[in-house]
Amino acid sequence: MTTRSCLLPPSIIRPGGRPLLSTGRAAARAALIALSGLLWVGALATPPPSSLRGADAACVNCHRRSGLGSIEGHIAIPPIAGPYLFVPRGERLAELGIPFVDTARINHDPYTDESLARAIRGGIGANGKTLNYLMPRYQIDDATMAELIGYLKGLRVSPSPGVSTSVLHFATIITPDADPVKRRGMLAVMNQYFVDKNNAVARTKAPTLYSSHTTMFRVERRWQLHVWELTGAPATWEAQLRKHLAAEPVFAVISGLGGSHWGPVQRFCEEQSLPCLFPNVEAPTGHDSDFYSVYFSRGVLLEAQLIARELADAAEPANRVVQVFRAGDVGVQAARDLQAARAHSGQQIVNRVLPAHATSKDLGAALRDVDAADALVLWLRPGDLSALEKVSPPTSRVWISGEMGGLEQAPLPASWRAAARMAYPVDLPGRRVVRVDYALSWFRIRKIPLLAQQVQADTYLACGLVSETLNHMVDAFVREYLIERVEMALDHRALTGYYPRLTLAPGQRFASKGGYIVRFSDPQGPRIAALGDWITP
Amino acid sequence: MTARTQATVSAALMCVGALLLTAAAAATISRSSVTYETPDVSLVRADGKRVSLPQELDDGRPVLLNFIFTTCSSICPLASRTLEEFQRKLGRGASKVHLMSISIDPEEDTPARLRAYARKFHAGPEWQYYTGTVAASLAAQRAFDVYRGEKMSHTPVTLLRSAPGKPWLRIEGFVTPDELVDDYQKLLASP
Repeated sequence: MTTRSCLLPPSIIRPGGRPLLSTGRAAARAALIALSGLLWVGALATPPPSSLRGADAACVNCHRRSGLGSIEGHIAIPPIAGPYLFVPRGERLAELGIPFVDTARINHDPYTDESLARAIRGGIGANGKTLNYLMPRYQIDDATMAELIGYLKGLRVSPSPGVSTSVLHFATIITPDADPVKRRGMLAVMNQYFVDKNNAVARTKAPTLYSSHTTMFRVERRWQLHVWELTGAPATWEAQLRKHLAAEPVFAVISGLGGSHWGPVQRFCEEQSLPCLFPNVEAPTGHDSDFYSVYFSRGVLLEAQLIARELADAAEPANRVVQVFRAGDVGVQAARDLQAARAHSGQQIVNRVLPAHATSKDLGAALRDVDAADALVLWLRPGDLSALEKVSPPTSRVWISGEMGGLEQAPLPASWRAAARMAYPVDLPGRRVVRVDYALSWFRIRKIPLLAQQVQADTYLACGLVSETLNHMVDAFVREYLIERVEMALDHRALTGYYPRLTLAPGQRFASKGGYIVRFSDPQGPRIAALGDWITP
Repeated sequence: MTARTQATVSAALMCVGALLLTAAAAATISRSSVTYETPDVSLVRADGKRVSLPQELDDGRPVLLNFIFTTCSSICPLASRTLEEFQRKLGRGASKVHLMSISIDPEEDTPARLRAYARKFHAGPEWQYYTGTVAASLAAQRAFDVYRGEKMSHTPVTLLRSAPGKPWLRIEGFVTPDELVDDYQKLLASP
């Protein structure tokens, strides 16, 4: 048997950045079994009755990266991190300092290396009963089994860095190219949320009588926010972030604010195994295959897909697609994605890049040769949209970015409103009003100035999601478990702010998947109408 | 859209078996004969074609129906492997039964993702995958009584019907490929 470690990313070899029991090939191979199942490709497929094979048989699929288990329908998938397997019968987890996990089952004899091997190979549990059909039976040799058991024993359940007995440390990350008004709005929400949270904790007295596992293990901790403001060039951000993390270890990063670059932050979160939950980023660079970074939406990159689909579905294809965007803004990434999406269409894509300090004259010049047979896609901010007043729309096929233009508040001149359609990657105003009002009332009561409504509502939603998730986690402060529980909590969430639905899963890192194409209803004002249903491109 | 249950599922069997991973496999399966009213919704097949759910179900062949999502890492891969083995075990007979897998996470499960998923489980031409709007998927889930609130709450259910107009055999729990072949053959043989 040969290891396949050369084919795998470092995160698989070293899951969650956790040190394995030993280093080198043996440990890496054990991690492979647990996390990727790749050792079973081919020769070591599991026999009946369970017929999963290859990566589908990896432990991580059900027991998750944390090793703390999960719940699927009626099936409680127990934790397999070492401490849970070897708890002596009759002992209480709390007394052993092992966190409460709701699927932990300890009313059986503790596993030994021998009985664990029997469970993994033959599907017979510590109590002699047959394990669920969902649990594969693995045909592995003694040496591999020893490595696997060693790996499970090495899965830590002690609190992650940034967690003390009384404080949970969180960070939020702001890049130097972030909008200063949005920055103020976001920080106002976060600071107030943390004050509220800590006031609630201060009012909570430690229970003197424990009535259930949950209350027995629950330890309310204060929340402390560390604002990591980056400076200088993006190439230096990862080093700055590593310094911040070393000086101020945090459990997770909540929200955050980016400009046109977020890649270095994304890479930092993955490399450091640090949950980065729902930052305000218009063009997130992550992938569904990442683990630690999750976003509400793909933002302008989603808009690019929505517009590409419109172009593809057009009854009469446009002659050319002319995209206009400013250098250094997120329109660059959006335009690139749209171009890629139309690469095989045969349609000519023309990109007109405005210098970062372009004037309305430059904008007019960029549109000069566009004619009625062309489609025009404008990745522009409100200032540029206002400046369109001096130009007539050269074609009736115009798309603008809702995210960049300010959604229904976009100052699109009256002369352009009949021609222009807007990519709109959030729920329609009338439909989201109740969900967003919840946040707006919270801001009003706490006298938080409304500076950037969507950023502030999303920030409030991110804080609320983390708070809600932590309630489910009781005292299992493991970073991977935080991500896994966020995935689960999101599906239950009724208050989803700007978004009609939010869902995540392993391999899903963008919670809202679609958007509308809308048109302005009036020559002035914010009234819009959707041109069709919600689209998931 | 309500289901008229002719023979109710044994709740005790369902709960005892399915609750814990330590439960024995045999106890997790229960079977019942049920009549469902098919909702008149349109879905998008993995080949990108918009189709009518009633027409797909009523193409004259026996139907095996289940509900999955492609990023489900526990229950669905096992259910899909079972269907793969079911097709393999039927051999030439596989072309006589229409396998249908409907996504319960349709926004994520684009036709392209469903095609990739189908390839992974070596789905033969008679095994088709469906997505569509959230509303259409929900209507289908509710009609066949598999909607459990959210995708993570789903339970393994396999539905078999020998011909249009006949009742469905509803199998709850992890059925093995051999058991499924047996169920299918018995269903075809029954009047």
